[in-house]
Amino acid sequence: MIIAPLLVRSEYLLNLLILVCLYATLSHSWNILGGYCGQISLGHATFFGAGALTFRYLWLGGVSYYLALPAGALASLILASAIGFPSFKMKGHYFSIGTLALAMIALITVQNLLPGVSFITEACLKEYSLLTIYYLAFGVGVLTVVAVYALSRSKLGLALVSVREDEDAAEAIGINTFKYKVVAMSISTVIAGFAGGIFAFYCGTYYHYAPFELGWSFDPLLIAFIGGAGTVVGPVVGAVVFVLLKELFAASLGQVNVLIFGIVFIITVLFLPKGLVGIAGIIRKPKKTSAVAQER
Amino acid sequence: MAALLQILSYGVFSGALYGLVALGLSLVFGVMNYLNVAHGALIMLASYTVLWTCYYLRFDPFLSLILVVPVFFVIGWVLFLGLFQRLLALPETEKLKNSLLISFGILLICSNGATMLWTADERAVATSYTGKVIDLLGVRLPYIGLATVLLAIIVVLGVHLFLTRTYFGKAIRGVSQDYEAASWMGINTRRVCLASFAIGVALAGFPGVVIALQTFNPIVSFDLTNKALIVLILAGVGSLRGVLFGGLLLGVVEAASVFFVGVAYREVVGLLLFVLVLMFRPQGLGGRKA
Repeated sequence: MIIAPLLVRSEYLLNLLILVCLYATLSHSWNILGGYCGQISLGHATFFGAGALTFRYLWLGGVSYYLALPAGALASLILASAIGFPSFKMKGHYFSIGTLALAMIALITVQNLLPGVSFITEACLKEYSLLTIYYLAFGVGVLTVVAVYALSRSKLGLALVSVREDEDAAEAIGINTFKYKVVAMSISTVIAGFAGGIFAFYCGTYYHYAPFELGWSFDPLLIAFIGGAGTVVGPVVGAVVFVLLKELFAASLGQVNVLIFGIVFIITVLFLPKGLVGIAGIIRKPKKTSAVAQER
Repeated sequence: MAALLQILSYGVFSGALYGLVALGLSLVFGVMNYLNVAHGALIMLASYTVLWTCYYLRFDPFLSLILVVPVFFVIGWVLFLGLFQRLLALPETEKLKNSLLISFGILLICSNGATMLWTADERAVATSYTGKVIDLLGVRLPYIGLATVLLAIIVVLGVHLFLTRTYFGKAIRGVSQDYEAASWMGINTRRVCLASFAIGVALAGFPGVVIALQTFNPIVSFDLTNKALIVLILAGVGSLRGVLFGGLLLGVVEAASVFFVGVAYREVVGLLLFVLVLMFRPQGLGGRKA
């Protein structure tokens, strides 16, 4: 992957790779909170957008991109502590629809305050190179996957899963569920902020509110569920499938693309609760899987 | 003063519509704990059905209900048998999560499918009474708005009477109060769920007519789902009588915010109200404690 750009020398392929990295990062961000901790957020666009907004302002203001990127992540974390942590007062599905409401508030507010288009200034255009963006996106993506892998192997990861499986039971055995939810959301929003920064670096011209669009909340959820929520590999597989399907269908079929994704999504939720990653497990030990399924 | 009254009257009209929008969602959620976020998309589809019935059959929009409501009853029936039936056996929280995810997929499919089939153009049904108003002490009340309020009262009252006075309605209430106990009493819970899901979807026809009389496009489904969820929470989960009042409250609050804050933040005020109620009174303003 690191030497891929040297081998292929195709800008088209590089664009696809950047998108895969971006989506994998964003859906892993969702995955930590939704997949591991079980708090299904429908408002990740807020944190993605906050990262993008901060990155754009700092970068266009003359700050170099490698400083602006963590600043965007920090801004997203600050936003999370302002609106994200209180939203844990809402439990279960209330959290999902509450975060959706927050994302809509953010979208409308940004639309009203910054109705214009964001351009790259001439000075910044010199810094713009697909190769730099690719390595940045790839680096952030790899770091994210490593972080999630470490998380899944750690005590913290176990605590998060226990909150997902049964919040009351976790509380009963002495797990401070609120604390772990806050930790999960902090990590998640920092990663979402990074992803937002990469988006703002990658996309030349866009409306200021574009990264706040609800699609940025829904896509990571679809990707994570199709790949396999609560797994390390799932969101990456999902991101590859998502970007490929989008490329295959968006050009030829246009709107059908989202339609097909919706159908794939429903089929996954109904028949593959563990996502595409789960197929491997079903093939390997079919008997055990069905026994578990019956128990549930 | 007249301006304020005028704006508040519009709040009442849109509030009645919100109540209608939330009714089906609330029924389904109350009975089987399914959060059907596709409800907005179904209403949008109902609006298109009304549009085409009026266009091809030259029906009056309100008359087209005799066709639209049965059609959506069947759609609800099929949706339940095809998708939602599988979730009945799941535990409570899983049921909610999976129904949310599946209906979310349906929402995406419907809104994008509608955009594909009928483009994203704004559409509306024009009738002889569109834009006609009654002047009451300087406050102008549009016919369509008054019809919406009337329709909302009739439908909510009808559903209420159905649930309290008929045998099957009582069975539905029994299942909504306690699924297991209802099945011990000899109620066919699966059939009750099937019927109430179909009725919930059929109820999408009524707001569909009102939406068809205003301008609408496929994207409106997200907005409608959003409004339905807000009203559901304001009214208190599963409280059907509260739905009309929740809708009116939201409509009036939004209208008042147009007057005091400005039209750009109309949606934000409603959403903020929603988040605050979710945080501090999740059982709803009028709801019983869970």
